[in-house]
Amino acid sequence: MKTVLGPDQRSFLAELRSYLDGLDPELVESTRAENIADPMQPREHGRRFLRQLAADGWLGVSWPTEYGGQGRTEIEHWLFAEELYSRRLPNGLLTLNVIGPTLMLTGTEEQKADYLPRIINGELVFAIGYSEPDAGSDLASLRTRAVRDGDEYVVNGQKLWTTGGHVATHYWLAARTGKQEDRHRGVSLFIVPMDAPGITVTPIVTQGGERTTSVYLDDVRIPASQRIGEENEGWAAIVCALNFERMFFHNEPRWELEQLADWAREQGLLEGESADAYALQERMGEHAVDVEICRLFALRGASMLADGKVPVAEASANKIWWGELRQRICNTGLDLIGEEGAIAHGSPYAPAHGHLEHGLQSSPVWRFGGGTNEIQLDMIANQGLGMPR
Amino acid sequence: MTAFTLSEEETQVQATARAFLRDFVDNTYLNEQEESPTGFEASRWGRMRDLGWSSVHLPARVGGADGTLVDAALITRECGRAAYASPLLQTLRSATVLDAIAADKTYDDVLAGIVGGAIATLVAPPDRTVMAESVADGFALSGPPVVVEWLAQAEWVVLVLPTVERGWLGAVVTADSFGERAVDVPSIDNERMVRLDLDGMVLPSEAVRTTDLSAEDAAYALARADLLRASAMVGGAQDVVERSATYALERHQFGQPLGKFQAVRHHLARMVIAADGAQLLCDDALNRALPGAQETAVARAALFAAGRSYMDVVLTAAQVHGGVGTTVEHVLHHHFRRAKAMQLRSGRRSSRLRELHQGLVVRREAVEGSLW
Ligand SMILES: Cc1cc2nc3c(=O)[nH]c(=O)nc-3n(C[C@H](O)[C@H](O)[C@H](O)COP(=O)(O)OP(=O)(O)OC[C@H]3O[C@@H](n4cnc5c(N)ncnc54)[C@H](O)[C@@H]3O)c2cc1C
Repeated sequence: MKTVLGPDQRSFLAELRSYLDGLDPELVESTRAENIADPMQPREHGRRFLRQLAADGWLGVSWPTEYGGQGRTEIEHWLFAEELYSRRLPNGLLTLNVIGPTLMLTGTEEQKADYLPRIINGELVFAIGYSEPDAGSDLASLRTRAVRDGDEYVVNGQKLWTTGGHVATHYWLAARTGKQEDRHRGVSLFIVPMDAPGITVTPIVTQGGERTTSVYLDDVRIPASQRIGEENEGWAAIVCALNFERMFFHNEPRWELEQLADWAREQGLLEGESADAYALQERMGEHAVDVEICRLFALRGASMLADGKVPVAEASANKIWWGELRQRICNTGLDLIGEEGAIAHGSPYAPAHGHLEHGLQSSPVWRFGGGTNEIQLDMIANQGLGMPR
Repeated sequence: MTAFTLSEEETQVQATARAFLRDFVDNTYLNEQEESPTGFEASRWGRMRDLGWSSVHLPARVGGADGTLVDAALITRECGRAAYASPLLQTLRSATVLDAIAADKTYDDVLAGIVGGAIATLVAPPDRTVMAESVADGFALSGPPVVVEWLAQAEWVVLVLPTVERGWLGAVVTADSFGERAVDVPSIDNERMVRLDLDGMVLPSEAVRTTDLSAEDAAYALARADLLRASAMVGGAQDVVERSATYALERHQFGQPLGKFQAVRHHLARMVIAADGAQLLCDDALNRALPGAQETAVARAALFAAGRSYMDVVLTAAQVHGGVGTTVEHVLHHHFRRAKAMQLRSGRRSSRLRELHQGLVVRREAVEGSLW
């Protein structure tokens, strides 16, 4: 019985770690603080950090060398993403991990030549525009419309929950080009600069402090050359991108568990013999097992990608496990802390550095973002078990 | 789908085991064996010996096939799938422990006996409730009674126990050494069990072949042995998931297959996640459980996860199957009972979890192998 992790992968990880350890501490600390406050969009320091990684040749680990990558396997890509998660540093997020790989599979030669070098340079940040006020889980009912006008499309509509809309350079936009009743067979996908005339972005602040946005599209003109895939065939790229999106998680729950361990150590509970200590140890023991399972769900996906397969039900399982575990660690971690747990993050008195409380507030989106867990369960039943729809 | 690939030989071991069991094991057979005086068929045991099942991972020196723990675990996984009860798991666990704690050829006679078809069983209470104390003519044992599978059918009984003085001991006695201390008790599953009262018994010096075994080495030897049980539970969980999915396609209510109802679909998907998680962790632990690797923490994690998942899936499977799943005419009832019994044989949940906390969180034992 062999895992796909061999000596090459281990030495890659060691090399990456020593590279990251050698980075300017100021850059690392400010990036980490920014990323902990809101990990869903690289901002001032995150952008600086990613450009540094790009300059040093560390972005695009699994990207083919022809696109400026290191040409390694998806396993190394996964190791890279997780090592950065583990340090709470941005790993290129959706732009590098989702949009880039999807473009490689579905973009034209011109599109690849245009975007991939700039993605791997850390120049571009994409925001994703699928959801709308009336199209959440039922994404195929989206109404934002793109009408062909010569060499261009004219787009009108409203998007909701466009995370990073205010910091992004580009928009990965799903719009209706076919009939409403054609559902997913009438959707096309476009790339448009975020500052294109007719785009208005307004902020939405969530309870955990993460920002997202509403995006209004008012006669936005997009050249037809910026359509990804054929007209009305954007769904394939969306599905592909969503499967990539559901794959890259595992180290955040491990990190949150460590925050709880820090608190428990200070309190003398980590190794104590009291009833409270026992209660904590039992709880943490089970979380620690679940963290190891989380690692393996992600590894399974990475090894499938490395084999040239796209994980579908496996990606769904990964995403469900990861999100629910994270939420559980934050929630039950606070239970172990008790009264003091009510002190909000930001206060120097917030236990576990405030990370569990912050995490708990952010946690709802982990269960429904990237397709809700209920939809993921359906996908496992369909794709994994062959249940009828 | 797993993150681990089997070698050609391993695939062969798995396929052979599955085919062998499929040939005769079904619910009727399992029911008959459960009601029989011995609980298993000696002739089948002979066949399994001939196939080399109980010695697949033992060194060639004693006549074994020189395979790995993975080979043994693939066989117990198939037994678990089939819900097949026999002294095999206990014999394999005993052999695994002896092979691990042997200095040189300490236990070669016993191991050679196992290769030849002898049944062995293991006494190593998971909650370490029995202690040994050095006395003039051996080691005196104390502690509450324990339960041991297949002791009445065994030739050899292997004991691995902590001592009061220091370190652990390893001992081998013949099964008739216990007299009235061993009492047959009914098990909730189809395996056989005795209640063994060791309190006040003295293990004679000549039976105690290993002393001063470090706690770490004892723990790792037992954790490796327990991976064979974890693997059996993984196999059981997989069979339950597959049967439930098949049933959800066959059974119709309200004019449609059960698998169309979202409540049922979600039950099934949760079962897949539970079984997959257990398998991934078990395979990871097996992959890492090389002799001397001291990967105790992850092996224990795998044991815990396997028990939890097997139990989770049988509870849900019973729901998905409705009435038919609860009758003795359905193999699910074997899985249901085996899941709980096998989980309980790992001892108290709270003790296991605190142990896992110590290993994974406090000592961060699995860090190297887990990468983070
Ligand atoms: C902070 C944040 C960031 C986000 N970022 C982005 C982004 O960058 N880009 C983007 O496009 N979107 C983004 N989203 C949107 C997110 O993907 C959606 O919220 C999600 O897809 C669910 O849609 P909804 O909120 O409309 O919920 P609904 O679809 O209305 O679902 C509500 C509940 O009903 C359940 N439900 C719905 N349909 C079914 C069904 N068929 N069977 C069973 N249960 C069902 C759901 O599972 C859920 O529990 C973000 C959301 C948030 C809050």
